[in-house]
Amino acid sequence: MEVIVGSVERMWAIALNTFREAVRNKVLAILVLFAVALMAFSLVLGQLSLHEEIRIIKDLGLAGISIFGVIIALFLGVNLLSKELDRKTVYAIIPKPLHRWEFLLGKYLGMVVTMTALVALMSLVLMAFLAVQGGRHGVTMVRAEILIWLELLLLMAVAMLFSSFSSPWLSAMMAAGLWVIGRNSAELEAFAGSPKLEDSFGGDLLGFILEVVPDFRMFYVSGANFDEAVVSVHESFVSWGYVASAGAYCLAYAAFAWRWRSSPSPRDFT
Amino acid sequence: MPRADRPQMASSVLTIENLRKEFVRGLLRKRTVAVDGISFEVEAGEVFGFLGPNGAGKTTTMKMLMGLILPTSGAVSILGAPVGDLAAKRRIGYLPENPYFYDYLTATEFLHMVGSLYGLDRSLRARRAGELLERVGLSMAKNRSMRSYSKGMLQRVGLAQALMGDPELVVLDEPMSGLDPIGRREVRELMLELRERGKTVFFSTHILADANMLCDRVGIIVKGTLRDVGQLGELLSPKVHRVDVLWTGPESLREQLRKDFAGGLDEGAAEAAEDAEAERHRSRSEGEHFVAHSQGEVDRFLAAVVAGGGAVVQVTPQRETLEELFVRDAGVKAEEQRS
Ligand SMILES: Nc1ncnc2c1ncn2[C@@H]1O[C@H](COP(=O)(O)OP(=O)(O)OP(=O)(O)O)[C@@H](O)[C@H]1O
Ligand SMILES: [Mg+2]
Repeated sequence: MEVIVGSVERMWAIALNTFREAVRNKVLAILVLFAVALMAFSLVLGQLSLHEEIRIIKDLGLAGISIFGVIIALFLGVNLLSKELDRKTVYAIIPKPLHRWEFLLGKYLGMVVTMTALVALMSLVLMAFLAVQGGRHGVTMVRAEILIWLELLLLMAVAMLFSSFSSPWLSAMMAAGLWVIGRNSAELEAFAGSPKLEDSFGGDLLGFILEVVPDFRMFYVSGANFDEAVVSVHESFVSWGYVASAGAYCLAYAAFAWRWRSSPSPRDFT
Repeated sequence: MPRADRPQMASSVLTIENLRKEFVRGLLRKRTVAVDGISFEVEAGEVFGFLGPNGAGKTTTMKMLMGLILPTSGAVSILGAPVGDLAAKRRIGYLPENPYFYDYLTATEFLHMVGSLYGLDRSLRARRAGELLERVGLSMAKNRSMRSYSKGMLQRVGLAQALMGDPELVVLDEPMSGLDPIGRREVRELMLELRERGKTVFFSTHILADANMLCDRVGIIVKGTLRDVGQLGELLSPKVHRVDVLWTGPESLREQLRKDFAGGLDEGAAEAAEDAEAERHRSRSEGEHFVAHSQGEVDRFLAAVVAGGGAVVQVTPQRETLEELFVRDAGVKAEEQRS
């Protein structure tokens, strides 16, 4: 028990530091401002449309949270770990009495805390805008926001995984690519199974990629779908087990990559 | 090099056996041997200096001890445990080379974070952070973000964070680098204070004067191999090995003496002359310099000066300095060493 408490305390110390880093980062503040600006713009657009004000604010608002959330997730996931390596701040931390995986999990935990705060903040702003127009935020909106939030957490884990063994830009591009594939997995699956590709190498490869890539479609909120009705494209709200296992996979891989990075290899931990 | 005269007791805080590190670089997989099978021990309560010129492998060795890089081969035991053992890490403090810390944090925030990693409670963290920042002379800047810190200030934060867990073993990679003369003296005092409190200090430096003043023992590493380990007194030969004579006299006498005492190797001087400078005679503004390699030679030279109508200004017997030892081991000229 004591062992676990100690471990959690150490991870929390790392997480708090990560949160501070993110919050004191100017780029992040600017991204959040852009998201809010997009929502404000939806107020104007709403005025132009007839009787569709509320729907436009909801659509654009959620889109804003999602799009800027993805950018922020990539930014955080890719930067916060590689910065530690570039600036050599890890040199002072790794020799401290904590395990490497605690450092890694603590970093991720800090990103989760940051992302949670940001999504909550943006949702509150959206709620305020809706209230101004006399609309209702409602349970469905909260569900949609939770879906977006979960998707972002998973994307951050993917980005962090890539950044543990490659450069920030490359990691961001790979993570973004994965996200696009993951979002379109249904279409790609159909494509892989089509007569043209069936039993060909390309089809097998695509099938394999779809097996490995996290299914971001799980979190897809389509604009038409949440008028007090179904939020998810699935019947159930969200598959928590899927989120947990996908996240755990990413972090486990990241921990592995991290280990590899510290071994006698071209990418030595120096 | 294990020394036979001291029994191998359990008092060893750090044991390194045949430690080796090869870096593999680039696509061509070129190999650099940074540390080439070194072995030594650091005992409890001593200040151990790890000396060597730039690129000798000091930092690489320390990084291996701290688990930052994996050794290619060899064994390390720190505080009786393998590298990375959590209980052992709790009793170790480490200052990295050219430290850089989270620049968005203040020094106080950073020390709090480090304190949490050592498992200290809030009040102890606050007290120790305050004390240490005071001790390293940063109390005026403690609530400023470290982005605005100078190199020397970062070095001071580095010392403070290394001591945050009140460690038994302190590993410092060039603790004096970037510090002004007062700062260097403060760090020396700090290290001696640590020893007084029974801590073990293992530090690297290429500044010989610092090692001279501080170390109980030193290890000298050059190009990845350990050349010498021992007490400075043991490593330095105690006998006078040359005598510097400063004198003045007329031009004719100068030429005469240059001829008479030209590089001539006296009996007994042959050995010492090997590593002595080729120029035994030098003209300086304050007078003429002559380097004698034996007592007999000194006597004859002084007699010749007086007989020729010159005047002896100064006669200085020279013992081997740490610098010369270092240069002898490094196989580098003293001039190249100074930086
Ligand atoms: N990541 C690395 N990849 C390849 N070679 C390296 C790496 N790190 C160090 N080296 C090499 O290992 C050797 C030892 O370097 P190290 O940093 O340990 O020297 P040092 O004794 O600390 O020198 P200094 O006094 O300059 O700090 C050098 O030749 C260096 O070029
Ligand atoms: Mg070094």
